Amino acid sequence: MNDRDKERVLIEVEHRVMEEYCRDPRGIEHTIFDTLYEERRRLETEKDRKTARVASAFYDRIQSEAVRSGPERQRELLRELTRSFCQEVAGHFDPRVYALATRAIPPALNALLNTLSPLKLIQSLPNGLSDMGDQIEIQGETEAFKIVAGLGTIVLVSTHQSHLDSILLGFALYRLGLPPFTYGAGLNLFTNKLIGFFMHNLGAYKVDRRKKANLYKDVLKKYAGCSLELGYHNMFFPGGTRSRSGAVEKKLKMGLLGMGLDAYVHNLLAKKEKPDIFVVPCTLNYHLVLEAETLIDDHLKEVGRSRYIIEDDEFSKPKVVLDFIRKLFSLNSRIHFTVSRPLDVFGNQVDDQGRSRDVRGRIIDRTRYVFQNGKPAFDSQRDEEYTRELAGSVIEAFHRDTVLKSTNLVSNVMFRWLQKRNPDVDLYRLLRTGGAAESAPLAETYAGIERTLSVLRRKEDAGHVRLDQTLTKRDPAVILSEALAHLKSFHRRPAMARRGDRLFHFDRNLILYYQNRLAGFGFHEEETVQ
Amino acid sequence: MRVRDSLDILVVGGGSFGTALASLLAEIGRRVRLWVRREETAEEINKNHRNSRYFPEQELPRNLRATTDLAGVIRTAPIVLTVIPSRSFRQVASEIGNHIQGDQILVHATKGIEIESFKRMSEILREETCSLKIGVLSGPNLAGEIMARHPAGATVASRYQEVVDRVQAVFRSDRMRVYGGHDVIGTELGGAFKNIIALAAGAVDGMGFGDNTKALLMTRGLSEMARFGVALGADVFTFGGLAGIGDLITTCASPLSRNRRVGMALAKGEKLDDILTRIGQVAEGVPTTVAVHRQAMAIDLDLPIVRAVHATLYEGVPPIEALADLMRLPIGSELASLRYR
Repeated sequence: MNDRDKERVLIEVEHRVMEEYCRDPRGIEHTIFDTLYEERRRLETEKDRKTARVASAFYDRIQSEAVRSGPERQRELLRELTRSFCQEVAGHFDPRVYALATRAIPPALNALLNTLSPLKLIQSLPNGLSDMGDQIEIQGETEAFKIVAGLGTIVLVSTHQSHLDSILLGFALYRLGLPPFTYGAGLNLFTNKLIGFFMHNLGAYKVDRRKKANLYKDVLKKYAGCSLELGYHNMFFPGGTRSRSGAVEKKLKMGLLGMGLDAYVHNLLAKKEKPDIFVVPCTLNYHLVLEAETLIDDHLKEVGRSRYIIEDDEFSKPKVVLDFIRKLFSLNSRIHFTVSRPLDVFGNQVDDQGRSRDVRGRIIDRTRYVFQNGKPAFDSQRDEEYTRELAGSVIEAFHRDTVLKSTNLVSNVMFRWLQKRNPDVDLYRLLRTGGAAESAPLAETYAGIERTLSVLRRKEDAGHVRLDQTLTKRDPAVILSEALAHLKSFHRRPAMARRGDRLFHFDRNLILYYQNRLAGFGFHEEETVQ
Repeated sequence: MRVRDSLDILVVGGGSFGTALASLLAEIGRRVRLWVRREETAEEINKNHRNSRYFPEQELPRNLRATTDLAGVIRTAPIVLTVIPSRSFRQVASEIGNHIQGDQILVHATKGIEIESFKRMSEILREETCSLKIGVLSGPNLAGEIMARHPAGATVASRYQEVVDRVQAVFRSDRMRVYGGHDVIGTELGGAFKNIIALAAGAVDGMGFGDNTKALLMTRGLSEMARFGVALGADVFTFGGLAGIGDLITTCASPLSRNRRVGMALAKGEKLDDILTRIGQVAEGVPTTVAVHRQAMAIDLDLPIVRAVHATLYEGVPPIEALADLMRLPIGSELASLRYR
């Protein structure tokens, strides 16, 4: 985003937030103290003491003034709070870096990747970074994606398993010849100085998920919305966070997703030349997930409770990331980036000319959805429901364009074998102890792979899911050996391994994690545990 | 602002219920148009103010006009209310889908489910049109009584508040109280499910049992309706409303209910095929029983009354035995299965 636009966005965000919160004069004071309360709570656990002291001083001043002042002054204090959030989200911007970075995207990307692996990564690969391109398979509705990116503004929404996702998405966009997308990146991506530097300057804005105040969340949402209105393509993970269980997202964050519609109505009201906002779902699928161990651990600990944010996971250790990438490369493992059919902000599919189509393929005049008495208008209740429709279509696309891998299939077979063998053992116990038998006969595993595969093939034929190439071969031995090669290569200990004619399970949590990718397909639903 | 020939509401379907609702709307002063399939029907309504196929005795309000030109009329209506039997619903929905636009409101008043797919009518509307602002109107509304200007009530449910507000406004009068809600699933399932209970209620009457038995059947039937609905995502309280118990009372009590008549004939020992041939009209509860029974099994839900009706209709079990089986079932706490978990 260029300097001038960034300023326009910030002014507009501040204006809209203030307008919204000042509609009810009594709400101003409430919002100030609510924000201060949430922020103080966060600061209690802030590790960086210096940052915490500065922030505390700022909040103390706001508080002492707020209790003494009348509505006029309180309004200004609210504006100060809003502005401080705005500044933080947008970050410091250096146009020189922007010019450099956009002119030299491939080097910038190299630099991004190099920071993960100070030269070692490149050296460890025979062909340097060109291998990276071979490793990522870009497929699906890429042409439609490129076309609609020229017709309107894009909201790219992706499934989310790993911190690597954002880097790979950036890479895929570059390969498709698209400009960098504006993107709300978690704070932990900024802790690495160099990545953070480029993140800012490639359109990333900062998201601190520990900040719980509604005011802050509104600033974030409106930042995304206003940048869309200015024609900046956005990208985000609508699941809100990496999938802890390993399953494909089934619930999405409605607030952020709804900003597409919000921007669309604003654009129509402003009679913009290109008012359209298109939502493009996409999926990323790996054989292995870098953070699998901590994710599933977190999932099992926190099921049903509010989760904490892990700051210190595998991704924060460059050596681990390097190791992971090198392993994937050496295994000839392909990462799939699949683009789904573009959608309008109401969840209808969009054709190659950018026209919305109904379920039966008829052309829709989409502007009419937001019309009231012949004019475009907002209606928050209606718009929430429209966004729910959109979320349904996105979730459907996520599932349809998920590429299941041998690791998912074999883990599913092993996990169901474990459950069947131990019908009376509850999940947690089963995960911990592994039940009565420490290994499964290979013959049974092969039979299980064949059975599951035939169900998956039917799902694939019906267009409900995609299968990785190995799975389209019919040889269970090939599938098993590919899965095992991956599962034993990277994680601290192999999830399972073959010894003689038996398959041993070692890390059941990982088995659960990888098999969960099969959940949500109406497939062995009763047997997939999330 | 308004175009001269613009409408308040378009009613799609010139059957008994469609005609009755359109008449009511015309009588309370709404600009309403009735779309009918057949040219003769439209002409009869426009010239003679009659729809003699359904209401041979009654004159329709003079300001009620009919048309067969769906494309022409649909543009002028901010609200489209479809009242089409479930078996031809998809086809008419698809025709509506050729013309309707996203700002228009699309509401249906059809009680039934698509048997093969177990889809609700609102789901069919979603598939066959571009409409998102979809709603359902349901309740204890016998067409004949509405034509006779008896006071009545109904409920309109939609996820869109705008739909609820606009439909309530268009019906606002001293003839009809339309309550609002957001539970589309429950409202639709209530209207379909009650027909199964009506079959059973007819059988109870046919066997010569009295009101105690029927009240038992209706109440436990309501419980099954609610359990089934909740399992499919409905709000349990919907079944205590007009689209649930309200409609159930009417259907099980009215001598005019076709489903009830089928039940009575079954109890007298007649064969199902013979009854359906003799009645000559569709008894919606018969196919609904198959669909609900299949669906309940698929989600592993035990619905004894539905099971009993199914056994009577298709497995050759005499009604008296089916009832005896029901009476022998183990008894639990009355509301246990309905309470929130």
